[in-house]
Amino acid sequence: MNHRSLAFRLAVWYALLLSATFALVGTGMFYGLEQYLRSGLADSLRRRSTQIEQILADAPVDVSDGAIVESIETRIAAEFNNRFVRVTRERSGLVYRSGVPADRSFNPAAIPPLGPPWPARGIARRTGSVMESATAIDTASGRYLIELGASLEPIETLQAHLLRLLGMLLPVLVACAAGGGYLLVGWALRPVDRISQSAELMSLQDVDSRLPVLPSGDALARLSISLNHMLGRLRESVQTSRRFLADASHELRTPLTVIKGELQEVVRTETMSQALHDRIGSVLEEVARLEHLVSGLLVLSRLDVGEAQREWVDVDLAELSAGTAEQMRLMAEDRGIHLVSAALRPVVVHGDRARLKQVIVNLLDNAIRFTPRGGTVTLGAVVGDAFQALEIRDTGIGIPAAALPHIFDRFYRVDEARTRADGGAGLGLSIVRSICVAHRAEIEVDSEIGRGSCFRLKFPVRP
Amino acid sequence: MRLLIVEDDRKLAEFVARGLRAESFAVDLAGDGREGEAFIDAYHYDLLILDLMLPRLSGTELLRRVRKSRPTLPVLVLTARDATDDKVAHFEAGADDYLTKPFDFAELVVRVKALLRRSPQERADVLRIANLELNRLTQQVRRDGQRIELTSKEYGVLEYLMSNPGRVFSRTMILEHVWDQSFEGVTNIVDVYVRYLRRKVDEPFPVKLIHTVRGVGYCVRDSESAAG
Repeated sequence: MNHRSLAFRLAVWYALLLSATFALVGTGMFYGLEQYLRSGLADSLRRRSTQIEQILADAPVDVSDGAIVESIETRIAAEFNNRFVRVTRERSGLVYRSGVPADRSFNPAAIPPLGPPWPARGIARRTGSVMESATAIDTASGRYLIELGASLEPIETLQAHLLRLLGMLLPVLVACAAGGGYLLVGWALRPVDRISQSAELMSLQDVDSRLPVLPSGDALARLSISLNHMLGRLRESVQTSRRFLADASHELRTPLTVIKGELQEVVRTETMSQALHDRIGSVLEEVARLEHLVSGLLVLSRLDVGEAQREWVDVDLAELSAGTAEQMRLMAEDRGIHLVSAALRPVVVHGDRARLKQVIVNLLDNAIRFTPRGGTVTLGAVVGDAFQALEIRDTGIGIPAAALPHIFDRFYRVDEARTRADGGAGLGLSIVRSICVAHRAEIEVDSEIGRGSCFRLKFPVRP
Repeated sequence: MRLLIVEDDRKLAEFVARGLRAESFAVDLAGDGREGEAFIDAYHYDLLILDLMLPRLSGTELLRRVRKSRPTLPVLVLTARDATDDKVAHFEAGADDYLTKPFDFAELVVRVKALLRRSPQERADVLRIANLELNRLTQQVRRDGQRIELTSKEYGVLEYLMSNPGRVFSRTMILEHVWDQSFEGVTNIVDVYVRYLRRKVDEPFPVKLIHTVRGVGYCVRDSESAAG
């Protein structure tokens, strides 16, 4: 799961918000309920206390303890109601104490008596899990202390239940909210996904393809429409610039023919000083470079617009590259470079033989050019499950890591001075890449400064 | 021999015409397709040099009409395109040969002469310049009677240069003849081979036969004197 995705962040936000709300409401409920139940209990205790006060107040001066006990038991039935009742006379001590309650929630004998001074008005105290209220009254038959109590256990049990219920509900609700939020956002963003997928599959070559426009009529529909507009403008400008490139390189050819022809005629037919001869020769050399540049640009512009693939055949790259290496062997030897093309496994691809040869020539030429005397240039073939590849490895000067992403760019030079002196136009590798793209081949480069470079042409294995 | 050049670029047309006249051809110039058609209807030409991109009447259309009215007239097409699909298209349209701009004039002359010969070229089996001898049948090269061992590419370069002594062949021409177009513009491969060739053919001998014309190319010539 992507932790920075909109869906994930929204789900987390939902979960946090819901948890906080739940915690707040839960706490309120928990304490509110406790408060309510306790005050209810206290009220009930007070009512009982008043009844007993009434009994004592109504009793004659010489009332017997037995009569009091009987009255209280008749009126209150403490054991049955799970209440605690104790009546103490100041003069003679304990008059009445209720028995063990029906629910056995406390032991009446274990509740300590309240020592003097007795409170004139009712006070509340707590012993263990028993809530108690005590009130002292003066009557004709003497001064009494009335103690009443009830177990808090039912309240605590209820609270515990509530807590358990909340604890069980919380994760379920949070999970629902978070999961629902996540799914909902994913669902809402699915059209955007579809747009981006179609955009991914789109190339600037197919002029007519457009992104799907959603029928929703909302921001997403507007997004796809504006993207289509942008795409249209982008295509137009790409096409204009490609047409310009093709036209420009095309138009340059006629004047170049004239310049070259006239100068060559001058050199051939006129008598002139050696110095002038050399100068015209130098101009002619530049004309030749211009020619290569123009033809390179034309090749690129043709590849750009997806040159008609009429001459596609099965080509064994291993055999083609071995043959090409033979043709360049003398050149390599002339530079003191060992050119190795051992018997390679066949790498059969479908393509334009002349273009593929151009790729091999350009790569071998680069390898030879940038490998110092005594080095080695090796051709290799790798056949994997999903791809087959041709490798051209050298022990040359290598390419700096910072330059690697750019070496296939047009007119890019790793080192201005070095390549220009060699007469490279800066288009060789761009042509290589364009041809590879046309053949759906990947090109990988590994390079280490001072150790050498390895260019790998990876072709998909045909099903 | 009378030639017609139909080319809208005046300077290019004049330059080609001048060069061909120097080779003792009679040359007429037409600046667009209509004019070219009128010339062809009016005169008898032995060869037509035709640019395909023409105003008024396109070269392709003119070529189609010429093929109907004068089926035997050899046509050399000049084109600024160089992709293989165009190559096929030119021949399908009825061109006998084509040259891609920018071309070397020497190449143009070679093509023109080849087209005018029509009948299979008479090919000498043994080429000789001074005391250098190349036998096309045995592929053996001797100088001063001494056998010189050449690799096949070295032999190819030497044979090409000796096929027309005194003519300067550009690197592009040599590349296309002995190798193929893939090598164009990428390497100094021709220079390396010529250097090796010189080492074997010229170095042991006092008279040098292989000459460099700077900016143009190489030629094989008998005398060491002035360039040209």
